[in-house]
Parts: sequence; structure tokens; C-alpha cells
Amino acid sequence: MVMAQTEKIPDLIGKSVPRIDVREKVTGAAIYADDIQFGKKLLYARVKRSPYPHALIKSIDTSKAEALPGVKAVVTGKDFPNRIGLYLKDKHIFALNRVRFVGEPVVGVAAVSEEIAEQALELIDVEYEVLEAVTDAVYGATPEAPIIHPKLGEYEVPNFIFPQPGTNISNHFKIRKGDTEAAFKECAAVVEKTIRVPHVQHVPIEPHVAIAQMDETGKVTLWASSQSPFAQRNLIAKTLGISQSDMRVIAPYVGGGFGCKAGVTMEAIPVAIATKVPGYPVKFRLTREEEFYTNFVRQGLTIKLKVGCDADGNLLAMENTMYWDGGASTEYGVNITRAGGYSSTGPYDIPNVKTDSLCVYTNHPIGGAYRGFGMSELHAGIGQVMDELANEIGMDKVEFHLKNVVQGGDTLATGMKMHPTGLSKCIEKVADAIEWGKKSPPSAPNKRRGKGIALMWKAPAMPPNPGSSAWVEFAEDGTVVVGVGGQEIGQGAFTVAAQMAAAALGVPMDWVRIAGPLDTQYSPYEWQTVASRLTWSMGNAVKRAAEDARQQILDMVAEAWDENVDDLDIVEGKVVSYKSERDISLKNIVIYGIPKENDQGWIGGPIIGRGKFMPTYVTGLDKETGQGQRAVVHYTTGAQALEVEVDLETGKIDVINAVSAFDMGRAINPDLVHMQMEGGFVQGLSSAIFEEMMLKDGYMQNPSFVDYRIATTTDIPKKMTTIIVEEPQDDGPWGARGVGEHPMVPTIAALANAVYDAVGVRLDGPPYSAERVYMAMLKAGVVK
Amino acid sequence: MALNPTPGLPPFEYIKPASLAEASAFLAEHAGEARPFMGGTDTFVRMRDKAWHDKFVVDVKNLEGMRNITFDPQNGLTIGAAVNMNQVAASPFAQEHYPLLVEAARSVASYQLRSRATIVGNICNASPAGDTLGASILLGGVLHVYGVDGERDEPLSEFFHGPGKTNLKPGDIATAVHFPLPPADAVGRYIKLNRNNDGDLAIVGVTVLGYPDSATASGFRFKIALASVAPVPLIATAAEDILANSPITDDTITAAAQAAMDASTPISDTRGSAEYRKLMVRNLVKRAVSDVWGKLQG
Amino acid sequence: MAHHTITLTVNGETEVVTVPAHMTLLEMIREELALTGTKNGCASGECGACTVLFNGEPVNSCMVLAVEADGATVTTVEGLAHDHQLDPLQEAFVESGAVQCGFCTPGMLISSKALLLRAPNPSDDEIREALVGNLCRCTGYVRIVDGVKKAVKIAAQSEE
Repeated sequence: MVMAQTEKIPDLIGKSVPRIDVREKVTGAAIYADDIQFGKKLLYARVKRSPYPHALIKSIDTSKAEALPGVKAVVTGKDFPNRIGLYLKDKHIFALNRVRFVGEPVVGVAAVSEEIAEQALELIDVEYEVLEAVTDAVYGATPEAPIIHPKLGEYEVPNFIFPQPGTNISNHFKIRKGDTEAAFKECAAVVEKTIRVPHVQHVPIEPHVAIAQMDETGKVTLWASSQSPFAQRNLIAKTLGISQSDMRVIAPYVGGGFGCKAGVTMEAIPVAIATKVPGYPVKFRLTREEEFYTNFVRQGLTIKLKVGCDADGNLLAMENTMYWDGGASTEYGVNITRAGGYSSTGPYDIPNVKTDSLCVYTNHPIGGAYRGFGMSELHAGIGQVMDELANEIGMDKVEFHLKNVVQGGDTLATGMKMHPTGLSKCIEKVADAIEWGKKSPPSAPNKRRGKGIALMWKAPAMPPNPGSSAWVEFAEDGTVVVGVGGQEIGQGAFTVAAQMAAAALGVPMDWVRIAGPLDTQYSPYEWQTVASRLTWSMGNAVKRAAEDARQQILDMVAEAWDENVDDLDIVEGKVVSYKSERDISLKNIVIYGIPKENDQGWIGGPIIGRGKFMPTYVTGLDKETGQGQRAVVHYTTGAQALEVEVDLETGKIDVINAVSAFDMGRAINPDLVHMQMEGGFVQGLSSAIFEEMMLKDGYMQNPSFVDYRIATTTDIPKKMTTIIVEEPQDDGPWGARGVGEHPMVPTIAALANAVYDAVGVRLDGPPYSAERVYMAMLKAGVVK
Repeated sequence: MALNPTPGLPPFEYIKPASLAEASAFLAEHAGEARPFMGGTDTFVRMRDKAWHDKFVVDVKNLEGMRNITFDPQNGLTIGAAVNMNQVAASPFAQEHYPLLVEAARSVASYQLRSRATIVGNICNASPAGDTLGASILLGGVLHVYGVDGERDEPLSEFFHGPGKTNLKPGDIATAVHFPLPPADAVGRYIKLNRNNDGDLAIVGVTVLGYPDSATASGFRFKIALASVAPVPLIATAAEDILANSPITDDTITAAAQAAMDASTPISDTRGSAEYRKLMVRNLVKRAVSDVWGKLQG
Repeated sequence: MAHHTITLTVNGETEVVTVPAHMTLLEMIREELALTGTKNGCASGECGACTVLFNGEPVNSCMVLAVEADGATVTTVEGLAHDHQLDPLQEAFVESGAVQCGFCTPGMLISSKALLLRAPNPSDDEIREALVGNLCRCTGYVRIVDGVKKAVKIAAQSEE
């Protein structure tokens, strides 16, 4: 492993080059999945969904629907009996025998128009026997709760997930380190708190859409708005009994992902239906309303925390019990529970830790990956108890954090050694920028101001060995085409990949193209576009592929010029010799090679560089204690500080200043990093103030933009500052780590702490809506 | 809010009548399965939700006079039914003489929705949350209606009966809303409490219009209308009386705000609980009346 | 089901289209004219991704019937650039970093264009108000507001 610190950093690294996809996107030329034209044969799929949170399917009569002119296929769970799932295989493409949430697919229809497909749904009769529903995770984990997955013990599961058959607990992650009970006795102050974080939805502006077609030979193509073309190829093919090589996934630009287009959700539906109508492309798109509750959502969390410190403010112990409301399937959610478990201390150095992180089946929508992968929910609790504990012992919060945060070399709660991290620097920088300790006067007599700070950490949550690969090819004019399997979902992955390839090769940025759209038939393998892992993992693969190509070019030229490779370099698209001072453009030679002198033949041939990366050092953790050598690949850390103004007459919160600082190791493209920090913060703010899936008896009450509000242009702070801190990652490309998810992680706690500073009240969890803040102030006697 | 709306609009026929008479006759003949079509901003949402199942959408926007906005210094402002909210907000007459109406219109949803949404449509739709209803009532608005029995005027003060329920009958087409000249030196204020800062439906809306009035003990008349706290736009008459009968002081305003709160009968829904809404009526009536009072005193 | 044949001008081109009564302007633009720059994000007038200029005014095209467009002039995102020359707004969005996933971008550009047509030098608050009906989940809006401001400057420079 090359130590990043000792490597020369090329000029292009750390440069804010413009996005390479932006011109397409401002002209309307950029193609998204729903924009692809399929011609007159296109069929449209619609789905009849469960009207009950929990019920047995007694009978399904599709005969009338099948008879409707224009209907080409009607399918049910019986047609596709195999289970699917990223980690825990506990889901069916269409419900089989039992429905477990309102909105679960029961019958699929393909017809010549969406209208006819909708009419067909009305003609389908499904008879149910309604069962008691579990709509609370804490209750769901008790022995009294009805069992939602009686066959949990039979499900296929990887060895780092620990289901408890006979219960609704599909994963139980534990940490037992030191002796918390004894340590609490030593504490000068102890804070206990329960926080509830409601389900929220990703709300990409582009709803899910997928189109599938099977040809007469049985080969299937899926076009999808997808963060995970390879995972979808793998899982859908396996479930439907197709060879992975006979399934092809084409994934154009994604109109916002945030995790909801990772793994497999609705994409399996058109594929399944397409296998019944060979030759026909079948399109399935979710309505905005379906987008809200029928696909992945962010799990709800009830977190019970107990944390204590000594009189000097040194943290001594933490107990953390998390009940994750995993929903009807926890195929993906089990690993969120695990991530919440191994990161359960937050970025704090605590000697005694007891953690129980439970993934609980409920009859709620299915939890999946969501920007932060459990960390926003976890830190909503951690960030507040730390604030309260500092209050308890009367210590300045910034001082308290600086005293207790993890440092490079610390042994973490899982036994892993922490790598160098710039968290302390992040804290200092946000404190400075927000003018910590200085109280500014409110803008009106009926308003109160306050400041809050909160920290975060997050590791990429993945299996131990997710792989990345890349290739680098050339066109005749020397321009470069880079093949990647990681997706451009708005974060700028293609731009950064191009930048890295250009930097590693020694060509100008505008020589590089990314081979798109992603196509599993031609693009190199990438596990998934999740976990803020692309810059780091795919980045390594791209860098290696470019270096491989570069080496091939230099070898060829060295041979042609009869020089030593070490004297050659590629600069601005030309091979130069520092010895002979000759130079030659990459143009032509990267395809045709170089002629030998006197027409005596040729040297070289088409250059193709390849690179791969896979972490090989992540170890398992003990099932009972959570201890192991290395739980994760690394942690990205950061801090946020906010200043808020609370309206005493309405409870409305106005964020007037927001500062973020994160340590992403190396900012390959600083502008893109700032954009992630801005956008992530606003998404965090939106979840902190506005967002909640209102679930009543399993039914979502607000599945529309009218009733589920997200932040708009008028809700953002007038002042926002984002700060880059760089403590290089030993195995990151030029030291880089990801920072896509992190900016929204500390926001709920930062806001809660600022509101507390302003008006002295805390809620039992987000959203900090005007109503909830006002009612809390009323209850506390702050207002009358 | 429906869990399973259709992806697109359900099928219907589009009717574009040549005259009000033809439109009215068609609507009367197809009572229950046809409706007049203005901006469509509510209609389409309800059709997707399968709440409305009309077979015919009767586009009356292009009939004579529907797109006119006229001002007469003696009689006041007349806004055709197809005049959109942005046009009202941009009208120099509205801005000069009816700033309260402009303020209310500008608070509705988003600019691009207001390119379609109309004041008359807002009135006919009769949502308790309708932002422009309070101002329209307090400004003495009268709806011009063309029906099977000819033309008639509907004073808005007696027009609303419940969510979506009004004096309109099958065959009726609202053609315009008319506002007389506002009382001399009148000052208005619309305070809308949203979840977001802007672009949202009202949790509570408070409309206040105040003006000097020698007939009252206080020397002033305050009119107060409340949105989203009753099945219809609620006129807070008890609060109005308090402000008419006692000298305007902080205590009087507080008492009036309390009376408005006591009069409101909100429901709990996804936007807010009944309890919070009542408290906000109190706090925002106080704020709005105080604002208006401040301006009345110059 | 009756169909209607309508004639309209889209991005300067005359189009004759036959549509069913319940087809929205959005569906017509995307499916009949294959102008897929205009996006469908909610089909209920809330997200603004389908915003187009309709006789010069911004509308959510999912809230307009295609038949209503008979005789109308429509401008979509594809109609903003001329002769391969980006509109100052597009240029400014590029320079400001106003684009991430790009799905809200066409609607943002059209709403911004409409704003600049009616208020050539808008204040920050005017920009924010004008874009309140265009949801974006990626950018946090900061650079979009910056982009509109920058467009004013670019337009002013090109006039000089």
C-alpha cells in the first residue's frame, strides 16, 4: 500500500474543475431512464398493492383483468417464489401468501397503456385475512408481538448478520467493552435520554422508473434509474433463475438517489413481468405517491442512551439500545443496524460501552439505505446527550467535545485502531466560524437566538469486500475514455473519476470522457454507488487503471526511443523524455503504436489500462462482544454549528447561520465537496424541521408533496459556510475519503442543541416543526 | 390524501363551449358528471385521487369577459374568473386599492401554480384553507354567477357552507368577482402560518382589515377572517365586536385574539393539530391586528 | 374518446398534434414531441420539474391540458439555447455549480427565465420566492440562487 502522504500530488488534484455532465444537464439533453424511447411495442406495468399492513392472502382472482383488451400479462407472487435481498433474503418480488405492509406489491399487470393497466387492477379481486399489525419497533421486539416472518430461520444470510428466529428481531448487534455498570458509579454526571426519529423518505425529484425486456433467447435487459446496476443484475438474475451474464442492466443518469435507488426494489417488478412477455419492453414508473411509501424509506429509530463522565468531563461509559423500525423486510436494513452498532459511540473515545442494536420487523414500509445509513438517526441521539452532559457538568461544549473526541491511535469500541482524523480541527473551525460563545441579539422582541454544535463520524457500511474496477482506453486523437461502474447520481462521481484519470495519466482534463451510460455488459464491475465509497474505492481503481495505461505507453515509447522508462513522463498529453528532451503526442500512438525506424515494423498496440480495488483487511466482529481487529475501512468525521432564531409566538425556527467542516482526507475537487456539504446540510435541515412519514396504524397519512414538505428555496439559511479539512487516508487515492453522506448526519442534533440554547426546550425527536416546538415551549412554561 | 392516485389524469371529454348559455346548459344537463374548468390546479389533483370522476371538463376560460380585470373609481374592481393570481397581484389597480387581496394572492403556492390558479377558482373550490377567501369576504366581494336562470350576484359573506360546499348549483358558472371600493384609509394584513416559510398551504391564515369608523365606540372597525380553522372561512365576529366596542389597547387586542381563538373550531390534520391551530389563531390575530393598528395610527 | 388536433408553437417550431382530452401538456411534450428535457416529478403541480413557459408565463405543464395549448406558444428547456449558444442563465448555472443530479434543472431554468423576463434584476428574496415551487434535493438551493444572480451579470456584460 502506497502511503498517500509521500506521493506527489498532481496539479489537477485539488482543483475545482467544472462538472463534465453539466452542459448536457442545462440543455435538457441529459438522458434519464424515463427519457429513453422504446417505440410502439412498449407495455406499461402497474401494480395492485396490499391495502393492509398485515394479512394473509386467501385468494387472488385475476381472470377479469386477464380478459381486458390491451392487457398482456398478469403475474402474482406464485409466479416468482424465490426470495430476494441484499443482505438477508427475506423479500418476494410480489407478496406470496402474506402481505406485510400497506403498498406491498401483490399483483403485477402489463398492458398497452398505463390507463388500461390501471383499469385491470380494478378488476382483480384479492381476498385477505387480516392479521394484527406491528406498528412499533419496541413492541415488535417483545415476545408478545405477532411474528411477521415465521420462517426467519430459513432465510439466507451473511455471517455478520445475526437474526433471532422465532422473534421479529432480524439482527442483533452487540458491543460489550469494559464494565459500564461499574463505570457509571464513578461518574460525576449521567444523562439518560430516549430519542425517537421518525421514518423519512429520500424524495429524489426523479421518481423510480425501470424498463425491462426479455428477448426470444431468454436474455434480459433492464434500463433503470439505478445506483446499483451490478447488484441489481446479480440479485434479480439469481432470484429469477437467470445467469448473471444473460442479464444486462443499463443505467443512465440518476435524478437523485440518496440510497433509495440502491439494492433492489421496484426494478425487479418489470423484469419479472417481462419474462412473461418476451419481446416486449415493459416500463414501470412509480407515482410520486408510491415513491413515498412503497419503496425504500429511512427506518424509524428509538434510541435509549445513557452516558456519563467524571468531574473533569472525561467520558467514562455509554449504554446505547437502538430499536430500528426495519419494516416489512429488513433485507438491507439489517446492515444499517450493524452500522449503527459498530459506530454507536459516535466519534467519542469512551472506555466502557454496552450497545444493543436491534433490527425489528414491523408492518411498516421497508427500510433501506438512506444518505448516512443510520448515522443521522444515531447522531440525533448521541449529539444531544453529549450536549446535555456538558451542560450537566457545566463545561463549555466545544471544550467538552475537544476533550472527548476520537483521535488517531485511539482504540475504538470495537477494538479497531483509529486512523489519523481531523475531527478536532473541524470542531475548532466551526466554533470559530459561528463565533461560539458569543450571543447575538434577536431580530425582534418575540424571538430568541441560540447556537448549537454537533459532531459526527461515519464509515462506509458495506460487506467486508466490495470491489471496484475501472479501465482506461484511448481514441485515435489521444483522448481518453474511462470505464467505471459507479454511477453519477449528482454527486459528481464522473467528474472526479475523469479528474483522477487525467491526473494519473498526465493528460488535460478535457481529454477525458466517462463511458456512459453504465452498462453491465461493458462497464467494469462496481459493487454499488453507496456508502460515500466511490471517490475512495472506485477512485483507487480509476487511478490504478490510468497508471497501468500510463505504464504501457511509457514502456512502448521507451522501447521505440531506446530510452529508460524512468526518464520519461507524460505531461499535458505528450510523452516527454527528460533525458533526450524528445516528445511525442499520445495522438495515434495509443492506438496504432509507434513505427520502428526505416519502416522495420511497429511497437505497441491499442493501450488499455485496467485497475481494481477491494479492501482486504476488514475482519469479522465477535457476535457477543462486537470486538474484532478492524470493523470498517475508515471513518470520515466532521462537525456542524448552527445559529437559530425561534419565534415565541409560533414556534417557527429560522436558521440564520450554518457552518460545516468535514475531513474528507483530500478534496479531489473542492467545489464538488462544498456542494456536497451545502446540499447535505439542507437535506439534514429539512429532515430536522419538516420531515416525517406520518404512519398511523401502518398507513402513511401524507404521501404527497402537499403533506410531506421538504425544504424549499425560502427555508435555507441566509448564511452558510462550508470548510474542508484534510487529514489524508492511507489507502485513499491521493489520500481521499468520501464525504457524500456525512454533511447531513450531525444536523438534527446541531439544530436541537441550538434550539435548546435559544429557548431551553428539547423534543423527544425530530421534526422540530413549529407546532412541536411551540407545544414544547408551552409545556415548559416558556410561553403561555 | 389518497394512497393510490392514478399516474396520469383519468379519461374525460374536453368541452369548449362558444357561449355562457351553451356552457351553462351543458353543465346543467350533465349535472354530477361535468364541471367548469378554470385553472385546474385543484381539479386535476382530485381527479388523480379518484375523488372526482367527471366525464366532462368544460373549459370556460375563453368565454367573453372571463379574462378581464377592470377598475372603476366609483364602483371598484372586477376580476374575471379566468384572471390568474399573478395577474391580480401584478395589477396596478389591485396593488393600489386592494393590497390585502394582492398579499393574499401572492401567498398561494408557487409562482407557476399562480399562473394557473384564479381567485374565482379559489372561491368556488371553497377550501377552508383558501388563502384569498378571507380577503375576498372582508373586502365585500360579490361573485357574478351565470346560471340556467340567468345572471345573479352572490355576496361572498353568505356563499360558503362547508369544504367544497357553496351556493353554486349545477349549470352555474362563476364569471367574475367584484369588489366595491374599500373603506377610506383601510389597512389590511394577511398572516399565513406555513410549515415552510413560503409556498405551502396554511396551517392557519389570519386576514384582518381595519379602518376608521365613526359609528363604533373605538372609532375603528376591524374585520377578521380566519382560514383553516373551521369548515368555512370563519369571520371572528366576537373579536370584531370587542375591537369596535372598546378603545384599542394591547388588552383589547389580546381579548379580541382570545375571542377569535374561542370561536375557531379547527380539526387536526397532517398540517397541524386543533389545539395548536387555536393557539395560533390567538397569537396571529394579535399580531395581525397589532400590525394593522400600528399602520392605522400612521 | 374524442381526440383533438391542435396546432402550437414549441421552441419556435410549429407542431400539429392529435391528443386525447385528458393528456397533459407535460405528457404531450415528453411523449408526443419527445422533448424529454421537461421532467415529470409529481404530476400534481408541486415539484416544478415540469415547468415550461406557456404563452410566456411559467406553468407546471402537468397542470395544463394539451388541448388548452391549441394556438399557444411553449418554451421548454430545449428552447433556451440558440444556435448552440447557451442562454446566460444556462451559462450561469454551469459556472455557479447550480447543477448536481440535474433533474430539477430544466424546471429551475424555466422558472428563473420567467423571473428574469418580468424582473431583470431581482433581489435575493425575489429569486427565492420565484423558485419556491421548484424542489431540489441535491444542491441546497444556494448555488441555484447564485446562478440566477450571475445570469443577470452575464446578460449585462453581453449587452455592453
